[in-house]
Amino acid sequence: MKTKTYVKRLAAAAVMGLTSLSAANAAEDKIKFGLCYDLSKSYTFVTPQITQAAQDLATLTNMKGGIGGHEIEIIVEDHGNEPQRGIECYEKLKREGVFVFDTLSTPVSVAVLPRIMKDKNILIQSLVGRGDAADGSVFSQIFPVGPTYWGQAANDIAYIKEQSGGDMKGVKVGFAYLDYPFGQEPIEILKTLAEKEGFELLLYPVPLPGSDQASVWTKVRRDKPDYVVAWLLAGGHVVAAKEMKRNGFPISNYISVNWLNEVDIANIGAEAAIGLKRGTNVAGGQDLPIIQEILADVYGAGKGAGPVEKINDVYYNTGLAIYSAAFEAARLAVEQNGFPVTPDSMKAGYESIVDFDANGLFAPITVTADDHGGGGKTRIEMWDGKTWVPQQDWTAAYTDVIWDVVKESSSKFTVE
Amino acid sequence: MFYGLSGVRHNSYVSDSKLFPVPADRNAVVFFLLLGLAAPYLVSSLYLNSYILPWLIWTAAVLGLNLVTGWAGQLHLGYAAVMAVGAYSAVHAAKFGIPWEFALLIGGLASSVIGSLFAFAALRTKGLYLALTTLAMQFVMDWVLTHSPTIAGGSHASLQSPTFALLGQDITSDAGLYYVAFGWCVLVTIFMLNLRRTGLGRALVAVREKDFAAAILGVNSFYYKLVAFAASSFIAGVSGAILVSTFYFLAAPEQFAVNVSIQVLAMVIVGGLGSILGSYLGAALILLMPGVVNQLFSLGANLLGLDLGIETLAHIPNAAYGALIVIFLMVEPLGLGKLYANVRDYLMVWPFDQLKK
Repeated sequence: MKTKTYVKRLAAAAVMGLTSLSAANAAEDKIKFGLCYDLSKSYTFVTPQITQAAQDLATLTNMKGGIGGHEIEIIVEDHGNEPQRGIECYEKLKREGVFVFDTLSTPVSVAVLPRIMKDKNILIQSLVGRGDAADGSVFSQIFPVGPTYWGQAANDIAYIKEQSGGDMKGVKVGFAYLDYPFGQEPIEILKTLAEKEGFELLLYPVPLPGSDQASVWTKVRRDKPDYVVAWLLAGGHVVAAKEMKRNGFPISNYISVNWLNEVDIANIGAEAAIGLKRGTNVAGGQDLPIIQEILADVYGAGKGAGPVEKINDVYYNTGLAIYSAAFEAARLAVEQNGFPVTPDSMKAGYESIVDFDANGLFAPITVTADDHGGGGKTRIEMWDGKTWVPQQDWTAAYTDVIWDVVKESSSKFTVE
Repeated sequence: MFYGLSGVRHNSYVSDSKLFPVPADRNAVVFFLLLGLAAPYLVSSLYLNSYILPWLIWTAAVLGLNLVTGWAGQLHLGYAAVMAVGAYSAVHAAKFGIPWEFALLIGGLASSVIGSLFAFAALRTKGLYLALTTLAMQFVMDWVLTHSPTIAGGSHASLQSPTFALLGQDITSDAGLYYVAFGWCVLVTIFMLNLRRTGLGRALVAVREKDFAAAILGVNSFYYKLVAFAASSFIAGVSGAILVSTFYFLAAPEQFAVNVSIQVLAMVIVGGLGSILGSYLGAALILLMPGVVNQLFSLGANLLGLDLGIETLAHIPNAAYGALIVIFLMVEPLGLGKLYANVRDYLMVWPFDQLKK
């Protein structure tokens, strides 16, 4: 038996020209998280911060004795945003005893999803991937804890409604979006809500990669919308800010998707960006108990996973949020079913998270077997020149409309 | 020495145009064929299904592109778009209830029709202009996929593929899926090997070398270019469909985007234009090298106890991988296939060529 596997491995090594096959079976008392991330291509604007947050949070948790006495191990690998390499990473780590994965990339999460479902592993899919995965009754193994883009857009509309005194008749809402699936996703919801609330919806598609928005904002100047909701990424916001200034559109009426951080603010100019709004499910700024604790205990002891400046970034908070929820799920799993954690117990752990917000780090989430999104609450925060100021309480609006869309879309998915 | 030619004499045209004039080549091919057949018993399922399976499917696709670019000499920058047509039509057909055998065929034919329709327009131009027109096709396809939910599927444009089945048998096991890819790759390879020996293949080469000279010889260059486009599109379509049904399990626009087209073209060029062995090596280098180099670097960093940041660790392999391509092309501009041919040609007469000196 043993010689057979040895021969198999030898042959594999010979075929692939690889010698790194000593699968680590030694440290099985650890709880492993597999982060197959894009560290070199499209998602580099967010992955370093999120990885650092995950590693710091793991360090902090391990310093406090881990989860039920067991250490957490964070395994990070680059997949360059290529589905092929994402699958490679998944298949490799799967065989090394990892069953909780996070790809933080829409193309790769879409590509590994069928395998995760078939193998009954767990995929953390916060803020990326298909939105209907929030439907836990269909996507039993996928946990997109946080808002869907649909929910986020609906919450933005709810905020605008609040600001317009509860009546949206005659209000014009512009929607500037990158013209591919990421940006197109909220359109249907916005159309439904426009009909329901009676506001006028104006669509402004921005061609990829979002660096040319001149025609979009001249149109905005002509149409004079009251608000512009923007589904753009990183540099796209900077271009938009310039064009807003040129076309006399107040930046305070600009509501960005959650993908806007301090780097973009610095590029716009911290002063020029005052008033800019951003929908988010994670509190911004560093004045949070968990971040203070990490600064004192992890960075204070020189054990930080990266430069300490990177903490001043909402994406760092986002990373902490994703992994606070994941570690909480693991903690519940150990509490309920003991060690070792299995995919089943991890799933049960996730599904028994109730009203958890990691001390005010993010919108309280309650994950159930049906709702893997945790409620989808967000709020609007405003940049005041130095930090993010919340403009409202955590809310989840129009949930019935969102769930109609989620159910309609998820009903087409079957596990093959 | 290893390629003993003594005793091999060709007395007729038929014998001269044999598939493998050198017995050693044939033996090598048979050896690799057997190795391929035995692979599920030799190789762990990780390597079988995450490395070898996609490699074989991409090799089949690369052979298809090699037909139009290497043999007929037409630069094609929209190859991934053609693969997408096949993949999407086959998956839709299979979802409709058509058995996979026919669904694959439908995928191939759909690709063939759309690919040659496009070629009709594109072939009025030549060289770099043709390359740009095919690039346009890629962008049209990207746009169609991201703007028509009926084709691309619902949420975040992903279209689930039904379980692959042949002859009424569901194929779900690792080995089963591998054999499907292997079978398709072997089929395409056999076709391409024989293409060299046919009038069609010679006509394509004539068109490649100089299309108006070919016309003087009575070879209708427009017709043969069209045939090349149609045949390569068919291979692309079926390869795309098999890639989705046995590897990705769902189709998404990113799997067939413009960067993929460039990658396939890179596989052809790095492997060697018009080289079959080169197609295998080129696909391996472009597809698998990034992951392998990545692992080698993290292994090396571990061994040396270097504490490189995860970002640095992700970027160094990219640089190394780029350098590797440049080095290979500098050593042998005709591609990896030619590298092997050089070795073979040297060994063919060795050690007797030493006597003269």
